[in-house]
Amino acid sequence: MSVHLEQVAFRYPGSGFDALRDLSLEFAPGLVHLVTGRLGSGCSTLLLVIAGLAPHVTGGSRSGSVVTLGLDPGGSGRRDLAGRIGLLLPTPWTQLSGMAYTVAEEVAFGPANLGWNRDRIREAVDGALRLVELERFADRDPRTLSGGELQRVMFAAIVAMDPAVCLLDEPAMELDLETTEMIYQHLPALARERTVIVATTDLDRAVRVADRVVLLDGGSVIGEGNPADVLGTARAVEAGATTSAARIAYLAGIAPTFPLTVSAAVERFSR
Amino acid sequence: MTLGYRPGDGLLHRTHPFTTASLAGAVSVLVFVLPGVLAPWGLVAGLCVLAAVSGLLPVLGTAAAFSAPFWGFLILIHGVFRDDLGTAVVLAGRISAMLTVFLLLLASVHPGRLVDAMLERGAPFGLAYLFGATLQAVPQLQRRAAAILDAQRCRGLRVRGSLVRRARAVIPLAVPLVLGALAEVDERALALEIRGAGSGARRTPLDPPRDGAVGRLVRWFLLAAVTGAVLWRLLS
Repeated sequence: MSVHLEQVAFRYPGSGFDALRDLSLEFAPGLVHLVTGRLGSGCSTLLLVIAGLAPHVTGGSRSGSVVTLGLDPGGSGRRDLAGRIGLLLPTPWTQLSGMAYTVAEEVAFGPANLGWNRDRIREAVDGALRLVELERFADRDPRTLSGGELQRVMFAAIVAMDPAVCLLDEPAMELDLETTEMIYQHLPALARERTVIVATTDLDRAVRVADRVVLLDGGSVIGEGNPADVLGTARAVEAGATTSAARIAYLAGIAPTFPLTVSAAVERFSR
Repeated sequence: MTLGYRPGDGLLHRTHPFTTASLAGAVSVLVFVLPGVLAPWGLVAGLCVLAAVSGLLPVLGTAAAFSAPFWGFLILIHGVFRDDLGTAVVLAGRISAMLTVFLLLLASVHPGRLVDAMLERGAPFGLAYLFGATLQAVPQLQRRAAAILDAQRCRGLRVRGSLVRRARAVIPLAVPLVLGALAEVDERALALEIRGAGSGARRTPLDPPRDGAVGRLVRWFLLAAVTGAVLWRLLS
């Protein structure tokens, strides 16, 4: 397992309640893991804990054990894990390094910080920009890009670091439908040699590429397993975390397990 | 009127960031050390020539726009109330020279190159990033303020008219500006950490600035000029 959490609880500074409660989870490489739940259920916090940023950067207190790639990401393993964990945040403009005047420089910021040689950096930058189809923007000032283009640049910036664990927090927040599809389509290939964990409420699209789902509510795990078993239930609908197709099936009084996609619903209703 | 780095390949753009920073430091000291009306305005004239040959003439307009309110106050206080126009002219020259040299620094030094230059000299990443980010802070706040101003105007805020009305408009602009900047700092800290800023590895300079003999000579000359001017003032 590349990520292992045992009885993890986390509380933000000044908060009167735990954002995560008694979480025991494992995330294996080679899969696209989907972490979901209604807003405030702890999905983003879980990613920060896995990355070691909570409580190291956010403050607060954590209990339990977190092991990412064999190391404690918030403690002694922090330096050894630099560059091996990638995290994409939902707001692209706050992730800009502020040191780059071209998109290529922005993507190169992480690899340069890791001390890679220039040839390797150039190769990683070219490959990452090709992946998000932004090669033609390589010389553009990142501040002149739209929110969606910038989010693709930040996705490329994370991929360029070649992390073993990819954490994506609402990766499609700023994207149009077409680009969202493009990003999600890359995830299975990305997960081939990595652990990919996506935290999102955009389940209509994410569910198509997810191999496993973790459903959170109030900071606790209320469901875990393959997408159909977890999200196709009445409990998922009541927890505010399922797809439009499943919600319609639930409202129509169809018996669980609900279909998660339109094509699955068509197949089910046509029987 | 845009603050911040202006891409280009003029004289100042080709100059090593340390040399431009040394110039800014030297001018800031010399305007106070050198006596008389001519010295600060002479430095301003020199900086104007430097801006012209570096393709940064628009920076002079920005410097004048920033300096003008100070000139007005100085002429009012010293020239009108104290009948001492000479002091007003000297002080105005000092302010203009300092504003001009720092705006030229801001416009010609790419923060990434400054960071690369500092790291090459063995500075820790945190310190280098702090300097680079400082160069970025003003233009970033300017862009954010413009966006907030537009948003508040759309919501009916009137920012033109009497002095009282303008003063009243400051709060709905300043509060989101400050709170937004603080929130951004938190998220940027997360993003920087994850992108290897605290990795402890020696960062690879992507395009390290070249530091030639002429640049080094200029820095020694500036140091000598400042030291000489300070000693001369102390001993005379």
